[in-house]
This record gives sequence, C-alpha cells and structure tokens, in this order.
Amino acid sequence: MRKLDYRALLDKVQKPARYLGKEINAVHKDPDDVQLHIALAFPDLYEVGMSHLGLKILYALSNNIPGVYAERVFAPARDMEELLRAGGLPLFSLETWTPLHAFDLVGFTIQYELCYTAILNMLELGGIPLRSKERKDGDPFIVGGGPGAFNPEPLAPFFDFFVIGDGEEVLPELLEEYQRWKKSGDQQRISFLRRIASIPGIYVPSFYEPLEKDGKFVGIKPLLSGIPSKITKRTVDLEHSFYPEAFPVPYMKVVHDRAMLELFRGCTQGCRFCQAGIIYRPVRNRSIPRLRQLAGNIIARTGFEELSLTSLSSGDYPGIEELVDELKEELEGKDVQLSFPSLRAESSALKLADRVQRNRSGGVTFAPEAGTQRLRNVINKRISREEILGAAAEAISSGRNHVKLYFMIGLPTEKDEDILGIVKLVQDTLAIYEKRDKKNRGPFRITVSTATFVPKAHTPFQWEPQIPLKEIRRRQALLKREFRPLRKVDFTWHEAEMSFLEAVFARGDRKLAPVLEKAYRMGSRLDAWSDKFSFSLWKRAFEAEGLDPEYYTEFQPGYDDPLPWDHIDTKVSKEYLIKEHRRAIRGETTGDCRVEGCRGCGIKNCPGMGVDGNLSL
Amino acid sequence: MAIYRYRLCFSKEKEMKYISHLDLQRVFTRALRRGAIPVAFSQGFNPQPRLVFAAPLAVGLEGKNEYLDLYLTSCWEKEVLKQVLQEQLPGGLAIKTITFVDLSAEPLSALVEAALYVALFPSFSEQYVLTVADILQAKEIVAVRTGKKERKVDIRPFIYSLKIKNDSGGAQLFMLLAAGSKGGARPEEVLSLFPGGKETAKVFRENIFLRNGETLLTPAGETYEEYLQKVQLFLPA
Repeated sequence: MRKLDYRALLDKVQKPARYLGKEINAVHKDPDDVQLHIALAFPDLYEVGMSHLGLKILYALSNNIPGVYAERVFAPARDMEELLRAGGLPLFSLETWTPLHAFDLVGFTIQYELCYTAILNMLELGGIPLRSKERKDGDPFIVGGGPGAFNPEPLAPFFDFFVIGDGEEVLPELLEEYQRWKKSGDQQRISFLRRIASIPGIYVPSFYEPLEKDGKFVGIKPLLSGIPSKITKRTVDLEHSFYPEAFPVPYMKVVHDRAMLELFRGCTQGCRFCQAGIIYRPVRNRSIPRLRQLAGNIIARTGFEELSLTSLSSGDYPGIEELVDELKEELEGKDVQLSFPSLRAESSALKLADRVQRNRSGGVTFAPEAGTQRLRNVINKRISREEILGAAAEAISSGRNHVKLYFMIGLPTEKDEDILGIVKLVQDTLAIYEKRDKKNRGPFRITVSTATFVPKAHTPFQWEPQIPLKEIRRRQALLKREFRPLRKVDFTWHEAEMSFLEAVFARGDRKLAPVLEKAYRMGSRLDAWSDKFSFSLWKRAFEAEGLDPEYYTEFQPGYDDPLPWDHIDTKVSKEYLIKEHRRAIRGETTGDCRVEGCRGCGIKNCPGMGVDGNLSL
Repeated sequence: MAIYRYRLCFSKEKEMKYISHLDLQRVFTRALRRGAIPVAFSQGFNPQPRLVFAAPLAVGLEGKNEYLDLYLTSCWEKEVLKQVLQEQLPGGLAIKTITFVDLSAEPLSALVEAALYVALFPSFSEQYVLTVADILQAKEIVAVRTGKKERKVDIRPFIYSLKIKNDSGGAQLFMLLAAGSKGGARPEEVLSLFPGGKETAKVFRENIFLRNGETLLTPAGETYEEYLQKVQLFLPA
C-alpha cells in the first residue's frame, strides 16, 4: 500500500496536534496484516469528532475484532486542506497516514445537517468519487450512520449504504459479511451491496427509487426483489453491549475533554421537537454494577480528570443517587470529578449536581425551551415556572455565579407573548439574585441562548413548518431589544440562516443532493462553523439547481401524505406521532412512560414493559 | 502529610514537539493518574496536582533535556517512579533521570535563568562567523513580537553566549539565551539574523540552566563550559 509522509505538513499547520494519531489508546496495527481496513470518518474538526461517543464506541469495537483495523479520520482544517490540495496529496487517516481511497470501508458519522458538505469534501480530498455510481470495483464502500441516517435521502447518491440504528448491533454482522464476500472471490461491488441489502437495519439507497406523481412525492420503491420496503432500525441490548474503556486520550483540548460514561440510551421525556427522543427508543439502562465497573476501568485506562455521566437526560436514571454514591466510592482518592452534561430545570437535579461537584462557584445550565407554560405544554416540556425559578434560586443560593438558560424560538403555535415570556422568566430569575443581601452576593450573570426550532423527521413536529427567515430575524430582534437594558444578561442566538439550512435538509429529499454537490463545488465546507458559513453561496447553489429552499422549510404535509423518510422505520408508529402532534396543538402534555405507564408509542418488546403493561424500568 | 519532591529530566521529541505546554501538563497529570502515582495537590479552593515545569518549550521545537518537579505524598523509589511513569507516557516523551530535591528549595520555574538552543545548519558558511561577531558586538538588537499588540524588544541583553562551529560540512550554532520570568530571547529571533537561518537550520533546546549564585549550572550541576564540551561530542552528525 502506498504510504505517504505527512510530517512535513505538520510544521506548516496551526494545530498539528489534530493530526498526530499517536494519542494514548490510539490503536496501531499493520494494515497489511488485516483482512479489513476501515476508516471511521467524522465530518468535522478533530476537536469536535473526538468529543463524540459513538465514534469511540465503534473504534474500540471494530479494533477488538480479529482481522479488522479501524482508524480515525476527521475533516481537515482549512490550512491543512490547502496544503493537501496544493501538494496533490490525498486526505489521510490519523494512525497510519493511509489515503482514504485505500481503505475497504469508510464510515461517516452523520451527526447534523450542516456537516454534509464536509462529507463531500472529505470524499473528494480522499481520492474517492463523490457518487456511489461513479465508484469502481476496488474503491472503498462509503457507509453512513448516526442520527443523520434516519433521513438519508439528501445524501443518498453519495453513500453506498446506511446503517439505521445502533452501530454496535450492526457492525459485527456487516464486517463478517464483508469478509465472506471477499473470500467468495466475487469482487463486484454490486454483489456485496446485494448481500447486505437484506441485513436488517441496512439501507442501500441505489436499490430504491423515489416515485413522484404530478411532481408530488408518493413513496420509495425497492428496485430489487427480496429487499425490504421498510428499513427497520436496530437496537442493541445495552447492558450486555460492548462499551469502550480505553478511549483515545487527546493531546489538545477538545470540545468535551473528558471520559464519558453512558448511563442509558433513549429518553422517555417525550419532548415533541426532539428527534433523539424518538430514534433511540426504547430507553435502555446499564446497571449500577456494570457502570461502576466501567467507571473504574475507564479512569484507570485513560487517566481523565473528569467522568461525564452522559445520556439524553441523565437525571432520569432510575437510582441515580445510588449510582452517584457508588461511582464516588469507586473513584475515591483518584481525584476524578463527576459531571452531568445537562440537567432538567428542577431543584432535585441541581442537588444531584451538588453531590458530584467540588467547585460550585461555576455555572449551571437549564433548558426551559419555551417562555410560557402554554408553549411548554405544546412541546411537552413538562416543567413549571415555579420549578424553573426554584432551581434557579437554588443555584444562586448555592453560590453559582452564572446561570445559562436555553430556549427555542419559532416553536409551533408560538406568539409574541411566548417570546416575551422568555424575557419575563429571565427577569424573574434576575430578581431572585437582586433580592439577596448585597453583602452576601457575588458577581452574577445570566446567559440566554436561543436556537431556532427546526422540524425534524420522525418527530411529532415533522408535519410543522419552520417559521420564515424574516420572521426568525424579527423574533430575534424583539429579544435583542428586550434584553439590551438588562446589564447582567448576555443574549446569544443561532444564526437564522444556519437554522434555515438545517431545516431544509432535516426534512429534505433526494432532489437536494445536486444542491449539496453544487454548494460544495462553490466552496462551502464546514457550515456548522459560523465563521465559515456563507448563506449567499447556498442561495446561489439552490438557484443553479432550480430548487426553492423555502419549499422544504415551509413544507406542511398532511398526515396521509407519504414522507421522503417513511421507509426508515424507527419502530415508533406514525399513529403515535399523529396523536402526539394533535395533543401538541391542543396544548396537552403526555407523561413520562417510565413514571406514568406505557403511552403506546408502538415500540414492540420494549424492555421496560412490565406484565401489567407499565414500564418497570 | 509528608511531601516528597522529585526532579524529572525528560526529552520531548518526535510528534511530542507539536504538543503545547498546556497540553503537556495534561499529558503528565493523566499519565500520573493512569499509573496510580500518589501526586500531591495544591491547597486552596481549586486544588491542582503539584507539577512544576522548568520553562515552557515553544510548539514545534524538540527538547533534549526538559525538567519537571513532581511532588508526591508517599516516597517512591526513583527507579520505580521512572518505570511506572514511563510506561504511561506516550512515545516521544522519555524520562532520562530522576533525582530527589530538597522540599524547601525554590520552585524550579523561579530558578530558571537560561536555555541552551542548538541550531544545525546543513552547510558551513564564513558568513555565520561574521554574524556571530556582529551580534556579540551589537549594543542593541530589536526584535518585533506580534501578538495581540505588536511590540519591539531589545533582545541583545538576553543573548548570553553564541558559538558557531564548523562540523563536517555543516554548522552548529550554540545559543545560550535568557529564559524565565524576567524575559528572554527566542531562538528564531536570533536565527533570523543569520542568512537563511530560519529556513535552513534545524533547532532544538538542548538544556536548561539554573541560577546558582553568580554562575549558571544545569540541573545536574554542570557549568556551561563543561556542558558545552560534553554536548559537542554527542551531537548527531
């Protein structure tokens, strides 16, 4: 295999530590000694990709399989990209500096919509033809997974196949099939794709064709016999699944520079805007003994100073207090700080944070999401004003000098009074601080962050439009005006154009693929980075391809209309999503199934379902 | 609680030259935790592991003899500490020696007076000899430092010694430059005074010198002259 020496480049880039590949716990094998060489690609910079749990799981899992070698590759920063292009050098893997095109399989984690052009850039820089139909026998297979695979259509022409659901579950089967195909002597790409097209959870988009009638999408049709018309996601038995202990330990500071312990997968809160809450169902816990054992081993193998108890809503872990006590016991004397990535705005959650945090002077983050009770009911964020303010009061009295509040604007049914409700909630939080004795209070700030609602596929809000760009800007301006006089408040917002583009692709179809390619050709790269994002470029790309982006953001289908992602089955029934959407519009909440019993989302064999039909988790 | 102070001499080479000083501190604290080495913690609101490095090394430069004072809460054999810690360090960081240091001695970083940098030129030129003489005779040498604010610094007082040596076709430049809290010169600032210096020469930091009354000594106790004699024998061809 042709190996290149990239050392000369390292002296010329701003952050060479991104490309070293020799971190503690990085896996080194001889690529010539393995039957299957995989690149695990993350379409963002090293510091973002190295903060991603899924990548670490798949990296360690693949490398544990004999005959398989998995390496990492991240999106190059602009300076490295320029050096590669100037030198005619292909994008390379971190561990052995192997060009991307020399791998058997290149797997992309598709985490968010604004990384799509980075995928195309990595393919092309890696010397791989962009479209699957242009790839020849001997080229690597390009596979996508992660949340983005649940609406794969905008990316369909660029990928050979997608993995829907938990990668741990599918990967070993897939790799086995690959080795069987290799041994069979049949080296045609299409034979391999045919073999895997019937593995549950695998979607080969070139074997499916979107159909239209009078310019209207009517469904996706399998082109081969024997392949499923619906691709059902895979779910792993979490307690008995593989979990890494020897995470690669980055040299440079990455976004989440800590070890991660995944308590459970899935979430039963049922926030109606949340895609993760649907696609990771059913909720599955790891047991306390398993978590304790993992925690000890992870710290011993990595030496991280912080262990983050990650999950979509970690405070919901049954027996969380007992778990925290056990973990503290396990890590006693090792000077390891436990942390929670996010907390519900409840004082019980804050007490939990206090149990693990040595230093309480820092900040705390809550996500009320909406400013009024009415709108919180619409989105099923079941938390009251009193609870939010109670948690804030608790945070302030425990000495925290910074409270961060996350909100969304543009939620379905939102009125200006809901926007002003955000302001009111912030003012009330501030009043708690100001009521305190001046002598006993230190400095204090509130950061208010607002994202713009993006309707996502497979959620109860998939039938809702995004508010128009002009309206996003107006509502942001309203907040800016209201917050300006509040000197202790920092107001930040997501760029309207970025949320707009996210919405286009979140409910996009296959027709968007040429726009992606166009935008990439015109120079679009790491769009998730606001300093690199150019909306005017995207507008020109849409014009050039004759598509109207607003069609996608304003798309408001009926319940009976086929949707471009309907062939991807999350196991949550459409009936349930419709029911939830209707309840949303009526302002009715739906309780947590772990607390109030099964809500009938359609998941079969839900591990939490007890004999009485209630969840026993 | 009894505290034990060790002085580690280590090299920082190969890929590790790309690791910043801040990142290097994390590399060591994580290695210590993996090795279950009982490191002592600072007092105060936010206790930190007690590691004191001699002087930060610029990203991109290799260091042949770097130093770190490490404080432990129990007394480990030097050889055991060396072995356990070395096992946990990434390639490119090699512990060379460990010595005990008196707990009451000044902090290592406060003792640093100078650093010896070596630049290897691919070929020898008489011009280099003239440049050395010019620099040593100069009253003032102004270097411009960019950053948030551009500022001008006279680096001449920071150049303690310069020696150029013709060596089988190449040239070796030994630069003893002030380092530590009172300021110093950067090797590339001196190199830029040599024709083609910044482009052609390969630079590394050879050693650190500590203040000892009126003299300069390596942490191992050698004078500059003694050390220079020794190091010339061991330089790569």
